[in-house]
Amino acid sequence: MHIVIINGSPRVQKFSNTDKIIQSFGKGLQESGDTYEFYSLSNRKEWDAAREAFISYEQIIFALPLYVECVPSIMLEFLESLPTERQHPAQMSFILHGGFDEGHQMRLCERFLQSLPEQFGCTYGGCLTQGGSFLIRMRDDEKMKKAMEAKLDGYTKMGQSFASHGNFMTTEARKFTGPEKNPWFVHLLFRLFIKRLVRKNFEHFAQQWGCTRPLDDKPYLRLERNAAHR
Amino acid sequence: MTIVLNTIEEGAASEQISFLIKGDVEVVNTSGMKIAHCMGCNQCWLKTPGVCAIKDDYESIIKKLVDAENLWLVSDTCFGFVDWRGKRVMDRIVPMLNMYVEFRDGLERHELRYHPLNFGLLYKGEADRQFLEEWSQRVASNLGGQSLEVIKMKEGEPCI
Repeated sequence: MHIVIINGSPRVQKFSNTDKIIQSFGKGLQESGDTYEFYSLSNRKEWDAAREAFISYEQIIFALPLYVECVPSIMLEFLESLPTERQHPAQMSFILHGGFDEGHQMRLCERFLQSLPEQFGCTYGGCLTQGGSFLIRMRDDEKMKKAMEAKLDGYTKMGQSFASHGNFMTTEARKFTGPEKNPWFVHLLFRLFIKRLVRKNFEHFAQQWGCTRPLDDKPYLRLERNAAHR
Repeated sequence: MTIVLNTIEEGAASEQISFLIKGDVEVVNTSGMKIAHCMGCNQCWLKTPGVCAIKDDYESIIKKLVDAENLWLVSDTCFGFVDWRGKRVMDRIVPMLNMYVEFRDGLERHELRYHPLNFGLLYKGEADRQFLEEWSQRVASNLGGQSLEVIKMKEGEPCI
């Protein structure tokens, strides 16, 4: 089976978490004897080739991060540029991920994705959903590295699963999401310990980026106040 | 104050906007503005907190939102949802939040950088109303505010 994977993230490929997910997933496909080609919508030069591949092949996967409760606007623009009729039947499947770890956060977007294939004359091959992607970005942090590798290994296993079932309509794909909502004791632990730890981590990360302001800075309010003082 | 981001062709929607959205309202017509897609670079959270790395016309919108209580999106629709032009101005709203995480209404959310914003949607075309209502609810919850109405615009009389 040959699979076309389209990265719907606007972030440049080099820093794209979605790209890391696609590479790990693709490894699983190849280990099972499948082949794949992939396109990144962040690079406009790939749009024509991505459209051509979308029309020509029968297995299409869109991989995307959750943006403001749904699909990133760049991917919507690409979708609106696709033909809505096709000569060969095809299946559209999705890999949806997001920064927060709760599955619940992504369900509305998943519903939107589920409604898409029939508008392009395609069938729906399911949606692989998992949160907690911020870990991938923290890959340079030694403590986070193991967790990140485990996460990406999970995608390789799902690549193998997709190769053998041809879709994400499986129990293992459903279980891949993890908890829908965090239980009450996680909320409690978060308030007591985790919150401070997470804040420290973010601040450490920001320092490495050369950030010189507090993360909760209010730059435009400051401008306004300064103007009022003058 | 209420900010209306009109992503539909200027003029076409003005009458309905002024009829439906009352009070201290400023309408921003975005169709002639230079606004790029959010590129997810995270700089507004981790490098220059609150300031977007993309230098285009959206910065003036963020400056207005800092003073606003209500945000309305006026958008055309596609695939049952807001179209890419409407979604684009919402994806760029990220600097209004910060990187820190908290539980709000029992859900993981990013902290508000400034204050709560209520969110309303005025849409054009045949869309999935139920879906748009749920989406607006979630957007409002992200912004710490209430979901205002979701209103379908009247289509203009066809030209003879």
